[in-house]
Amino acid sequence: MTHQRNRLLTALTAGALVLGLAGAAYAQAAGSLVSTALADGDVGEQADGYLGIKGTASAALRGEVDAINIKRRAAYTQLAAQRGVTVKDVAATVGCQTLATRVAAGRAYQLPDGVWRVKSAAPITLPAYCAG
Amino acid sequence: MHMLLTEARSRATSGAMKRFATLMMAASVAACGGCVQVQAPDKPIEINLNVNIKQEVVLSLKKDADALITDNPELFPK
Repeated sequence: MTHQRNRLLTALTAGALVLGLAGAAYAQAAGSLVSTALADGDVGEQADGYLGIKGTASAALRGEVDAINIKRRAAYTQLAAQRGVTVKDVAATVGCQTLATRVAAGRAYQLPDGVWRVKSAAPITLPAYCAG
Repeated sequence: MHMLLTEARSRATSGAMKRFATLMMAASVAACGGCVQVQAPDKPIEINLNVNIKQEVVLSLKKDADALITDNPELFPK
């Protein structure tokens, strides 16, 4: 009985290990999907503080963008609770900063008007609330 | 003779009052031409609150936001 249970435990541990490795490998592969999409201008930063997809995207890319946005939202929620502001306020402030400093020329970005634009050499005209 | 005179006078008075009432009605109808007429819109009034973030809040959060970005590089791929 004990022997059987041990074997079952070993099998479960091995299974979990394989799944974990596969998951890590998948996450790494998917992460590169976003980097490529960013470089191609298919994915870009939005003024609302999240990544967005311009047009249609594969399920794998969509999944990776969603995963990043979920993690971002968790980080925003934590900071919002610490500072006593809304998650939206934190997200919008991060949006101001990403648009101001983290969008390279040739990459896509989206302002609150919902229109996707491509960054030129000139700085992005930020929403009024970003000023200051 | 006396009675008749009183009757005639009262008739004259009521005629004047009627004329006055008619005049007042006409005046009020004319006045309504200058009334401000308020009409309820058939569409609901929409107020866009999407960009309702206070500049001060953004300003106070800027340093925190920068730290959040640099502390979580995996969430902000370049």
